Amino acid sequence: MNDIVTLLSSPVVRCIPFAGLLLCVAVMPLVKAEWWEEHQPIVVAFWSLLFIIPYVITMGGAETTEVVLECLVNDYLTFIVLLFGLFCVAGNITLDGNLAGSPAVNTMFLAIGTLLSSVIGTTGASMLMVRPMIKMNSWRKRKSQIMIFFIFMISNLGGSLTPIGDPPLLMGFMRGVPFFWSLRLFPILVFNMIVLLIVFYNIDKRKYRRDIARGRHPDISEPGITLKIKGLHNIIFIAMIVGAVILSGTLPSLPAFQDASGKVLGLRIFGDVVLGYPSLIEIAIILLAAYLSFKTTDARIRTGNHFTWGAIREVAVLFVGIFVTMQPALMLLKSMGPELGITEPYQMFWSTGMLSSFLDNTPTYLVFLTTAGTLGYSSGIATSVGIVTAKVLTAISCGAVFMGANTYIGNAPNFMVKSISDENGIRMPSFFGYMAWSFGILVPVFLLDTLVFFR
Amino acid sequence: MAKKQEAYYELAGRIYDLDEAVYKCVGSSLGRTYTGDRETCIEDITRLLITKPRMQECRSQIALIGNMARTIRNKEDRKRMMTEYNEILQEIKKIPTTFGSVDILNENMAALNTSNLRQKFSPDDHLVICIGRNHGSAGSDIGFALADKLKIDYYDAEIFQKVIERMNAEKENVEDDNSNFIETAKRASQPRKKKTKFTEYLKNFRRYHGLPVQDAIFFHQSELIKEMAKKEDFVVMGRCADVILTNKRIPHISIFITAPFEQRVERMMEALKMDYKHAVRFLKRLDHKHEAYYKFYTERQWGNAVNYDLCINSASYGIEETVDLIVRMIDQYPNHKKLAED
Repeated sequence: MNDIVTLLSSPVVRCIPFAGLLLCVAVMPLVKAEWWEEHQPIVVAFWSLLFIIPYVITMGGAETTEVVLECLVNDYLTFIVLLFGLFCVAGNITLDGNLAGSPAVNTMFLAIGTLLSSVIGTTGASMLMVRPMIKMNSWRKRKSQIMIFFIFMISNLGGSLTPIGDPPLLMGFMRGVPFFWSLRLFPILVFNMIVLLIVFYNIDKRKYRRDIARGRHPDISEPGITLKIKGLHNIIFIAMIVGAVILSGTLPSLPAFQDASGKVLGLRIFGDVVLGYPSLIEIAIILLAAYLSFKTTDARIRTGNHFTWGAIREVAVLFVGIFVTMQPALMLLKSMGPELGITEPYQMFWSTGMLSSFLDNTPTYLVFLTTAGTLGYSSGIATSVGIVTAKVLTAISCGAVFMGANTYIGNAPNFMVKSISDENGIRMPSFFGYMAWSFGILVPVFLLDTLVFFR
Repeated sequence: MAKKQEAYYELAGRIYDLDEAVYKCVGSSLGRTYTGDRETCIEDITRLLITKPRMQECRSQIALIGNMARTIRNKEDRKRMMTEYNEILQEIKKIPTTFGSVDILNENMAALNTSNLRQKFSPDDHLVICIGRNHGSAGSDIGFALADKLKIDYYDAEIFQKVIERMNAEKENVEDDNSNFIETAKRASQPRKKKTKFTEYLKNFRRYHGLPVQDAIFFHQSELIKEMAKKEDFVVMGRCADVILTNKRIPHISIFITAPFEQRVERMMEALKMDYKHAVRFLKRLDHKHEAYYKFYTERQWGNAVNYDLCINSASYGIEETVDLIVRMIDQYPNHKKLAED
């Protein structure tokens, strides 16, 4: 019996459900697509239970409940509500027009979207721009590369300039990194944008030429561009959601939201699991924005946008499993992080990045920020976890934000963009197919980043 | 084999129709799986069904239709579409994974054989002759003489003029990449145009739907050639008309006229009063430009014999004999009413 308990307590064994779930996400759509579509919740439940039951046996029911609830209440809930809110509101905005998706237009669109990501977040920008992008390119047959670069740039890289851009940076802000500090990443972002946009333009141009050569043409019979945005008032609701995210980052530091020991006040769910009031406020504002958006927008806009619950449902189901089964890997990372001997910026960049490709990038960022804080730097940015040099913080931030693009599960909007594209006639690559793109294009760019910025 | 092909074609038609019906039911404006014209799409699907190594691609495309079908709100419609979707999947499963003999993949190419010309046109089709030519090979003269002999219209720069009218554009702002060498030489002698200003760039961006001007011209030109081919008989010079009409499934005859380089240079020297050195440079530049243009819009190699029904060295025949040769070839097909009348 003791042997079994020891085996079940082994970190490697505990990580098996996470690996198993990832493997299912990667392989099942290829080998049994129909079955996978219908049985995702069962598969997710299976792998989650495969983590929970051994954990109950080794750690007891109370601790297991606490671990699972902590991740569901404090990580998953806010994650999925934010995604849901932006998904709903963005689905109520439509761009009607006859702008044709050419390589130049797509490149311009990607550049604008990337910069917008830092203003309204990667999720916000992705949800807002994914449908216009699909619509503009609806005349084309070869267009999956557009959505792949969309994920690279708008859903990930673009979020690096402000704490609103991506949750890890918000976490950094909550730990004392100044709000506008991330603007220092601008040269790195611009460098990456230039390289990626050049690569994109050339790939897209080749595919565009092939489409033309096969006789595909956009409808340009009417002279001049007519662009009309319907449901524009929903921008207010997007602003509401962005405001809610900012509040969730600023309120916890206010004395009114802290008890005498400095802990954030909130609703006690179970044991030490507390849903903080700032998170509750964030959730309430986001849900209100989504509700108002639906109430005030003509349903025909959603029909025209092919708004369905499919994409958000798929993400909600898969990510609940990913969040739960990822816990052992995160615990392992938290305990091992400081012992990894990582001190150099390039090491921080790649470790944070590669782990962020598969794990939630927010706790990964936090682990490496904490590790950096314990290295005893005497000058740099003073955070609540210690002083960290600008170069190291830059490396951690870039690693966490940029490398979320390496896989479909690396960042929340990645999978949403894939699902929405899948629903609208774009044949997106499989999990491994996408990784071939990211490792073939992004990793060389990140190597360049290492040479230029993190040596 | 023919029966099998017919069955695939029918199945491809069902797949296309399902995609169309699903898209209508969804009410989306974001685009669907098969966005080209029906015939092209069906032919593409048929090809995928026939070529087993790419069967997976066909299944993925059908899966995309399934993805969309599952999002139909109306339960009855959804059920109807999913039933058809499942039936199609069953049909596809029945397709054997290996063949005892090799299929003919490109029936259109096979049909382009001159001995098949009699099957190529139906009495309702118009006689459209697309002529590509190396500059200096007297291709334009041959095209004009051929049109005259057949008493049909001849189009070269006229198409560009029509496109300009269609686009509401100013002629001085756009360049005809397909003009003949005399026009090109005239343009080359004119002072260079100033660099495009940003405001002009923005104006063009708005006017041409965000497309590069040359692409917008090509798209309009394609539409125009297609419309004309449905209405009248004509000879058209260059402009990738052969590929445009192939893509639109419109019967036509494609011809490429060439001549040895030295003879083309000689002709150029005489026509443009140029010295040898300049004529060589000018001709090489023109050839390169046209090759690049053709490659860009068709992904085919300009002048490569496999892309045409007939390639002629005009230096071996002269203008008149070349015209006679082409007419003799066209005479082989009795279907066409124009020739029947003659």
